[in-house]
Amino acid sequence: MISRRHFIGLSIAAAGAGAISPLLHGVPFVEGVVVPGEEGMIVRSARFLDLETPPEFLNSWITQVPHFFVRNHMHEPSALYGGEWRLTVGGEVQETLTLKLTDLERFGLHAVTNTLECAGNGRGFQRPRVPGVQWERGAVGTARFVGLRLHDLLERAGTRKTGKHVMFRGLDEIPGKVPAFVRSIPIEKAMDTDTLIATQMNGAPLTRHHGFPARALVPGWVGAASCKWLTEIKVLDKEFEGNFMKPGYRMPNSPISPGSEINPDDTHPITSMDVKSIIAGPSDGASLKSRVIKIHGAAWAGETDIARVEVSTDSGTTWNLAALDTERARYAWRLWNYVWHAPRAGNYTIMSRATDGAGRTQPQSAAWNPSGYLYNAIDQVRIHVLT
Amino acid sequence: MSLRKVLGAYRLECRAGAIAILLLGGSIVSQAQLHDLPAGLMQAKVQTACTECHDSHIIMQQRLGPKIWTKEVDKMIRWGALVSPGDRDPFIDYLSINFPPEKATDPVTRVEPR
Repeated sequence: MISRRHFIGLSIAAAGAGAISPLLHGVPFVEGVVVPGEEGMIVRSARFLDLETPPEFLNSWITQVPHFFVRNHMHEPSALYGGEWRLTVGGEVQETLTLKLTDLERFGLHAVTNTLECAGNGRGFQRPRVPGVQWERGAVGTARFVGLRLHDLLERAGTRKTGKHVMFRGLDEIPGKVPAFVRSIPIEKAMDTDTLIATQMNGAPLTRHHGFPARALVPGWVGAASCKWLTEIKVLDKEFEGNFMKPGYRMPNSPISPGSEINPDDTHPITSMDVKSIIAGPSDGASLKSRVIKIHGAAWAGETDIARVEVSTDSGTTWNLAALDTERARYAWRLWNYVWHAPRAGNYTIMSRATDGAGRTQPQSAAWNPSGYLYNAIDQVRIHVLT
Repeated sequence: MSLRKVLGAYRLECRAGAIAILLLGGSIVSQAQLHDLPAGLMQAKVQTACTECHDSHIIMQQRLGPKIWTKEVDKMIRWGALVSPGDRDPFIDYLSINFPPEKATDPVTRVEPR
């Protein structure tokens, strides 16, 4: 998203380059939001770009890139040149590295199929309401990421024993005095052989919206850990100190009353995603002509497997086991479905709840916190059966 | 995708970079720039101060009480929003009146077909 003046400037430049966007024909300002390649996505913000995946797109194990949610804290880099891109690795290391894209050839490639979820997914359901992007179900998706292991990069640089955290900095363009979106992860997670510097997503180079040319991929953890447009990796002797580490992206150490405030010193950083399921279909408010209804969705639990998903068709009075699809990977969601024969026409509340391998079950209501992180209450939709 | 193909794509991206980025960057157009915030004495000032950095979608989807709006406005002033000291309280009042918790949420906007 760009300003009017900036848009016109770019339009002229693009026309001069001989490649004219369809938007340049006719009226330059159209009704609605146009983001090429992202058609049908829910617009939570057009500038910065924050796009949510509608429930109807959450029906495949691998989420297509054009349907994969986009979360930006800042402006996307206005210029990205693969040939000029450099990644530095420094801090508490024996040797500072500066790598070009072609240098990545020296490291082997590794694939991780991972469910990525924004820490604020479901914030729009939180009561009392909290500020922030009002995501509902769709700030989540699953993709096959390929890249080099961060472990291998840090081994090459020679991480010192004083290295406790690994910081990521991207090329986000920062407006005003907004703090830079810089975060760090503990060295143990950084050295996990599944933590990547990803360059591909679903068999193609990362797109601009998803961090071209390289992003961190911290599997099982909230999306904020997986910094996009990566340009600097720095090994630190402690957790990075910055707005997006504290007070941002933290949960209360113990439950707090909804609506109350919390001292940041009584919080801890968010890491892994919680156990959660969502209903992808039927959609909330749907009117259905058939009494035979396939209820379906996805369930995930960060670094833990999904053990079961249950479905209720009577507002939570009784629960039925859903069938889990066979496609699975350590950090990926499981799709599930339950075929229900509605006894008669009428209004119904359909619910889903997941339980993971560690025995955690989705709660009736999510743990309230002032930023609406990790919302994972039992999902529910209301439907009307017509006949 | 093989590493050779990926690197080939990178090289292509490098060569085509300038044009590609112009097109990508120049083809996102938002109604938000046209969407005025609700009428009110502070409408123009809020629109100007806030949309310098982000669009109005993110404001109009919030449903918050005065206490939280106060925190949000103060945070944005710290982060560079140009709000004169005399306008701070009217900003908070405007946002609290127009986007309170009890107000129903607006229908969502979808990215339109090209």
